This record gives sequence, C-alpha cells and structure tokens, in this order.
Amino acid sequence: MVTFSILAAISVLGALGVVLLRQPIHAALSLVGTLLTIAVLFVTLQAHFLAAIQVIVYAGAIMVLFLFVIMLLNIGQQRKEIAPSLRWGAYAVGLIAAAGLIVGAFNDPSQVPDAALASEALRGGSAELIAETLFGEFMLAFQLVGVLLLTGMVGAVALVQRRSPTEGAPQDAGGR
Amino acid sequence: MLGGVDVVATEAYVALSAVLFTIGAVGVLTRRSAIMIFLCVELMLNAANLALVAYAYRWAGSGLLTGMSGQTAVFIILAVAAAEVAIGLGILVAIFRKRASTDVDALSEVRL
Repeated sequence: MVTFSILAAISVLGALGVVLLRQPIHAALSLVGTLLTIAVLFVTLQAHFLAAIQVIVYAGAIMVLFLFVIMLLNIGQQRKEIAPSLRWGAYAVGLIAAAGLIVGAFNDPSQVPDAALASEALRGGSAELIAETLFGEFMLAFQLVGVLLLTGMVGAVALVQRRSPTEGAPQDAGGR
Repeated sequence: MLGGVDVVATEAYVALSAVLFTIGAVGVLTRRSAIMIFLCVELMLNAANLALVAYAYRWAGSGLLTGMSGQTAVFIILAVAAAEVAIGLGILVAIFRKRASTDVDALSEVRL
C-alpha cells in the first residue's frame, strides 16, 4: 500500500503537469514521468513484460516522437487561453466525473486479489504467457494490428512528404 | 491495507485510473493547441491500460485466458497507440505547414 500510494501521488502529479504546464516541452516531459510510474505500477501488478514494453515503446519511442515534433514545429507557449468560464466549467466536469468514477469503483464489495494465486497464475506476466493468448484467442486482433501498422506507415509517409511544384495535381501524390 | 503490506485492493488501482483518465479529459477540454490535446489523449489511453492490467491481476486465479486477456489487450492497445501517434503527428505537421499554427479553434474549414 505504501508503494502504491507513492506511485499514485507521483503519477497524479505528472498528469496534472500535463494539463497545467504552459510549455509543451514541460508538459511532454511531465507525461514521461507519469508513463514511467505507470510502468512501475505494472510491475506491482505482475505484468513485467508490459512494464518493459511501456518503457521502451511509450516512454521511449512515442514520447521521443512527440518531443521531436514539438521541437521541429517550434511550438511555444499557447498565447490565448480559453474563456475562464469554460475553463472552470471543464474543471467542474472533471471533478464530478472523477468523483462519480471513484464512487463507482468503491461501490462493489472490496476486491482484494489473492497475491499468491495471482503470481502463480501470471508467472510475472512473461512474454511467453502473453504470446499464448495473443497467438490463440487474439489471433484476429493480432493480424488486424499488423494491417493497421502497415496502413499507418503508408499514411504517415503520404501525409508528410513534400510535393515538388512540377509534379502536377496534389491528388496523385499519395500513391507513390 | 487489508491483510498484509503487499496486497492493494483492485478498486484502488481503478480509482487511480479514473483520476488519471479524468485529468486527461479535462486537458482535452481546456487545451487549445492540438499537440497538447494529443498528449492528454495519450494520458487517457494509459489510464485505461492501468485499469485493464489491474483487473487482469484480480482475475488471474480464474484461468490463464481470463488472466492474460487483460494484459494481451494492453499489448494490442500499445501497438494501436503507436500507429495513432504516427498518423496524428503526421496530420499535425501537415496542418502546421499550411497554417503555421496548431490552435484547434482556428481549424474551422471542414465544419458544415
């Protein structure tokens, strides 16, 4: 419980930083902190493989992509704020939604997992066990993700490529 | 908490996940820059992942498929998130080239 409380406090602080910090770079680095704490929470839940993937893919690749784009586009502080009434309305909506969700979470009878049983069944959430499910029940989802990643790759290249002015209509530029 | 130092009730994880999710939702509502909205969406995705892994731990005793389904779903969500970020940032760079701004309020050309 002590570990959980510390991790929860750090992750909530990081999340608040994402919402409240002015500079996009600071907000992105604050999100990296939250993602790393979530990786540690995965370890406390016996999901070691997912924790490693979280650090490598999320905190590594995805956030580097974000920081790269923020620096490439040189996005500074946002100048205009949204109207204060809308801002406080959004905070109120957030508070009410959070309160409702927390009440909903604690509404059921307390769910205390059997730690010994869980660690025996999950075996540390190894890649082997995930592979058994992924290549069994989740085979269709796995193949669809493969198609999605290919589509995403083609789409990203088609979106970002520069067209030379001699090449004619912009419609035919995506297919090459 | 309840019987031992190690054991944390599942609802504590779910409550943390709910708090992170709503913080991300408030960020989507209050931020104006498209890239900040995108960061907040990532935060919401991670909050959902945390809840999935917490429930996977809770139900691990009821069989391998029940236990591992949550973790496998998180694995697939990670792959989808990676594709989403690549496409989203590509769109963002394309918009920035055209408009030199990522303010979502200025992007009103596709409205009906």
